[in-house]
Amino acid sequence: MDEIVSVEAVSRKFPLDHSFVSALDAVSLRVAPGEFLAIAGPSGSGKTTLLNLIGCIDKPTAGQILVEGVDTSKLKPGRMTALRREKIGFVFQTFNLIPVFTASENVEFPLLVQGLSGRERRQRVAAALESVGLSARANHRPDLLSGGERQRVAVARAIVHRPALVLADEPTANLDTHNATQLIDLMHDLNRQLGLTFIFSTHDARLLEHTDRIVRLCDGQIESDTRSKGGSRG
Amino acid sequence: MAKFLLLAFRNVFRNRRRTVMTLFMVGGGVAGLLLVGGFFARMFWGLREHTINSGLGHIQIFTADHFNRDEVRALDTGIDNWRQVAATVKTGGHVRGVAPRIEFYGMVSNGDKSSVFMGTAVDPVAENGLGFFPTTFTSGHDLDSKSGGEVEALVGAGLAKSMNVKVGDGLTVLSMTSDGALNGVDVEIVGIVDSGVAEMDARSLRITLPAAQRLLQSDRVTNLVVGLDKTENTDQVAAELAPRLRGLPQQLVLKKWIELATYYKQVRSLFSTIFVFLGIIVFFMVLMSSVNTLLMTMFERTREIGTMLAMGTPRAWIVALFMLEATLIGIFGAIVGVLAGNLLGVLLNYSNLHLPPPPGFTVPMSFQVLHVPSLMIGSSLLVIVSLALASILPAIRASRLQIAEALAHV
Repeated sequence: MDEIVSVEAVSRKFPLDHSFVSALDAVSLRVAPGEFLAIAGPSGSGKTTLLNLIGCIDKPTAGQILVEGVDTSKLKPGRMTALRREKIGFVFQTFNLIPVFTASENVEFPLLVQGLSGRERRQRVAAALESVGLSARANHRPDLLSGGERQRVAVARAIVHRPALVLADEPTANLDTHNATQLIDLMHDLNRQLGLTFIFSTHDARLLEHTDRIVRLCDGQIESDTRSKGGSRG
Repeated sequence: MAKFLLLAFRNVFRNRRRTVMTLFMVGGGVAGLLLVGGFFARMFWGLREHTINSGLGHIQIFTADHFNRDEVRALDTGIDNWRQVAATVKTGGHVRGVAPRIEFYGMVSNGDKSSVFMGTAVDPVAENGLGFFPTTFTSGHDLDSKSGGEVEALVGAGLAKSMNVKVGDGLTVLSMTSDGALNGVDVEIVGIVDSGVAEMDARSLRITLPAAQRLLQSDRVTNLVVGLDKTENTDQVAAELAPRLRGLPQQLVLKKWIELATYYKQVRSLFSTIFVFLGIIVFFMVLMSSVNTLLMTMFERTREIGTMLAMGTPRAWIVALFMLEATLIGIFGAIVGVLAGNLLGVLLNYSNLHLPPPPGFTVPMSFQVLHVPSLMIGSSLLVIVSLALASILPAIRASRLQIAEALAHV
């Protein structure tokens, strides 16, 4: 059992009027530790649903998902919360920073939830902001940061508690091409330097050349699973 | 914890306009309660002091049988050795004076008209020693203790009007002696009294103690009235006096002013009920409007809550955050309300406003507001609790959000 994430024949259906719509249909996927994986596909292909299921913020209708060998479908809500808190970092399309907190306070939040001491929090926050190149903007609130800076704060927040897995749902969708490329490169650097596993979704074909592995979804099913030459796993 | 409190604090002022409106509402409720409560407190205080200083005194001493007496033969159950009792009481601390009194009933007549009266016999010197409010005369003057001529009398303005008498006129006072015989004494009216209480003035008659003792043919008195330096010392003095009275030959009982002030207690009870009712209205007003505001806040922050939950924030934290924010609004609202209420109270006190006379009174009532610390604390706690309760529903809703749906919320 080497995989950090194992998706086994997972389906997810949502109720719609008097019937169901299938967002994912018997999807299977294995992700090894340290991978830098992109889930690509058009809107409505099931990218966000798959990330939500892997991130333990939604439950599959059928199949099972293992995160570090733990079957998440069998976990009680409290354990699911703890798993998210300790093992997973999230980056969202719309940044989702807490607007009344400064950049450093936003990055600090996952550590607060984990109950770390003030000293350790300060050290980790400083290191995380340093790693995304935003030390100078630590005391700025989100409304004073550019879109690219906000998303870098979100990345710092996602990695500050040293998770096993970082999930990023369309992290570049609200960024221009320059900032989007910079963000993907930043995430890739963090992936290499810290050995963090990154799974992110995108429908921007230009960004895919920066990734190691591309899983293409279409209509809730995996259309292809390809690895680039420089990919971390073959 | 400090960061959590900081988050709640900053969230309170996130939508400043809405927060200001909420603070106005909460503060308005507190200020309203302080003004009404402060006015009632001033009214209670005024009525208390008026009741005490208009003759009731802080403490009265009776024989144990007094309250089972035959009212017509008032002195059957009177105090025998009242001079010794008065001397004993005077030695205590905080005692300003002790005055003997005889309360009696009977008829007055001027030849043309007759009327029943409620009489009080007093020692003018001892009465002055009590330090009570001076008697208000519509005409004439007070009783003269050294007078050796005609028996002097003061009559209430209402009684004088109904009897059609004035200062200088004579009256015949008839009452029952302690032996059960009817006795009479001629008196000269030296003053017409306006106590401010119409019902009292319609029946009151006051003569000197020696004259009443001659009329009733007894040297007893019905009671001793004790005046203290401050009303707040009543309980302490009463506690000190009670054991000393037990050592006297006649069995005596001591009554504090509150036990005798029936009208005061009725007024206080009525207005306290009204105040509680107002408090309940304010409580529900704050509760209902706050629920709406806090629900709106929750909907606006749905995605943010979803993000916090996704990061592994326990749902209990979300409940605590919302309740803390509401409690902070309650605290700030209470501060605004206490400041506004006190400021308005000061302005009203300086405005010299007067209200029409209350029922049974003949003089207008001054609109004054007391600044009562316990009322400030109570009103503040009321709105804080109200807001904390109002936040329960939005807080629980927020904590139960489905994370995936919350993150997709637009």
